[in-house]
Amino acid sequence: MPHIVIIGDRDSGKTTFLALLYAAQVKSGATRADDFRFHVDLASMEEISEVFQQLMSGSFPDSAAKEGISDINFHVGYRRSRLGILSRRRSKAWSPDTSASLHFVLLRNLDAEMSRFRSGSSLANVNLRDVLESDAMVILVDSTRLAVVGEENPHGTMTNYDGAVESLLTALQRSRARGDPKRFHPIFLFSKFDSVNKKALRRAKIEDVPPGVRETNRRAAYARALLETNLPKTIAKITDREVQGVRFAPPSYFFSRVATEAATENQRDRVRLLRGDDGGWELDYSADEYLALLERLRTIATEAGD
Amino acid sequence: MPCALLGDRASGKTTFLGLLYSAQVKYGTGVQDDFRFHAPIGSLNLMSAVYEGMKDGRFPSATLKEEITELGFIFGYLRKVVGKLPYYIRQQNWARPFSTLRFSAYDVSGEDIEEFIETGIASRPLIQQLLKSVVVVVLVDCSKMTTDIDTPAYKKMLRYDSTVAKLLVAFQTYKRQEYDRLKDSGVKADAPRIYPAFVLSKFDTLKDDVLARLGLHRGFPENKRARKDYAEALLRVFVPQTLSQIRGGKIAGVSMDKAAYFLSWVRTEQHEGMEPVGQSKIVRTGFAPEGGGEPDFSYDEYVEFIEHFRDIAHKIPDEVLEAEKFQAQALARAA
Repeated sequence: MPHIVIIGDRDSGKTTFLALLYAAQVKSGATRADDFRFHVDLASMEEISEVFQQLMSGSFPDSAAKEGISDINFHVGYRRSRLGILSRRRSKAWSPDTSASLHFVLLRNLDAEMSRFRSGSSLANVNLRDVLESDAMVILVDSTRLAVVGEENPHGTMTNYDGAVESLLTALQRSRARGDPKRFHPIFLFSKFDSVNKKALRRAKIEDVPPGVRETNRRAAYARALLETNLPKTIAKITDREVQGVRFAPPSYFFSRVATEAATENQRDRVRLLRGDDGGWELDYSADEYLALLERLRTIATEAGD
Repeated sequence: MPCALLGDRASGKTTFLGLLYSAQVKYGTGVQDDFRFHAPIGSLNLMSAVYEGMKDGRFPSATLKEEITELGFIFGYLRKVVGKLPYYIRQQNWARPFSTLRFSAYDVSGEDIEEFIETGIASRPLIQQLLKSVVVVVLVDCSKMTTDIDTPAYKKMLRYDSTVAKLLVAFQTYKRQEYDRLKDSGVKADAPRIYPAFVLSKFDTLKDDVLARLGLHRGFPENKRARKDYAEALLRVFVPQTLSQIRGGKIAGVSMDKAAYFLSWVRTEQHEGMEPVGQSKIVRTGFAPEGGGEPDFSYDEYVEFIEHFRDIAHKIPDEVLEAEKFQAQALARAA
């Protein structure tokens, strides 16, 4: 089972990311078409369903729910397509080659963890081995912190985060033997992209809306324009051709947004729900991005020999 | 074959059991005599009290509900082959004329199975018994189906969805572990399977605006496929985690694909233009040759429910016997 480490700055939306990934699976796993199924490990169910409940009640995950999540296991399966005359035997068509198990490890307080690590201690909250032997890393980029020239960002900057991610990648690189055939997959997820400061996009000379999930090259160029200014050390590390040890696969990029109702005097930001096609309430978020990410993770799992 | 009933607080568990008992009494005394049932004395006393109350037009009282921790029936279905044998042979015990299904209702909540969730070990006998169930009946309370997001009913349904999804994953995990244990011990067993049955309880309270929003009509279809579509349209909106984890069983190696759907309603007295004060009264049928003075409820659905388990009861025992045999061996080894 591939290990996927999730890292992000404080309040960058790590738990919300996992909750939305779960929400995408719940929705896809209950459609009439029944072409996607997933299973959650019992040990993960309590925490992930709690944050899902909170989102569906209009609230972002609270601190107790955040603290509760350290790792989550999902098992996903896609129905084999084009069965033709065998379509009556649909329920048996869940083939192993279209299934994958994914183990997510959440690394909190990256800055503090890396300071500890540099001073010789192990990572406090997660299994160090899981991190160092991981197959992929979801690097959350809090879009509200993207730099704008001449303005102080009230949400803070990314300089420290950039340094911490670079350190983690270096540690990961050093932990692996030279010539290790296993590739490492960096995945950048721009969280809260609906709240990005448009000036940050202007500065990077890119449009307001990122290219669609299938436009891989254009999307990569769009994301790189933002990362080169905001996470320069990280992106340099990943694209460095002279790397020893681990081989980095070309990064993939996703953009997360979840519609909210602005905070009022008495109330924090609330998650906005909208009426779905089936008549019920659903989250107003970038579901297509999450489904594409899930598909990407399945490919990684297949490559990792799940 | 063990069977478990899951339901939220006040979702109509006791009423469901009372109506099931009522249906069993009526169906089990039919001319055909291919269904029989038995209940242990404790369960019988309790169910009789519920049944008597319903015949008086009353819903089960809170005191009665509290007495239920485990309640069981044994359903017996006449085996097809045995049914063709001469009567005197059919009556012999060695002919094992009936396939049986042990239907048990446990009053447990999500917290009760926390130990299993946290440690992977079910030490309490009641929880072990619950997790061994091959049939899982999930009650979904239609009175809590609302599209009004700021109501307690909406939040209760969200919570219930999480609880049931968790319980179903617990069932799948337990079954998978048992299967792996059997395999490791060299016992050949079929891939584990759980038969889920959803009962849409208090269906008469489902609001018209909810149905309209979901594009559904009030009548529950008769055709099996259409029933599934209809029920899943409701589950998809109100208990999506549960539905997705039922389907996800296949990914976990425990198929729960043979789900069946039933509805339950009991007619209550309505006074035009007036809100009922306190608990509403059950409407009873008039006296007729085939019986009367019974609660007016979805009897046909309950018969469908009983009949649904006929095939399962015929099919399952071998798997269960294998598991029980293995457990007996394991116990003997431990001793």
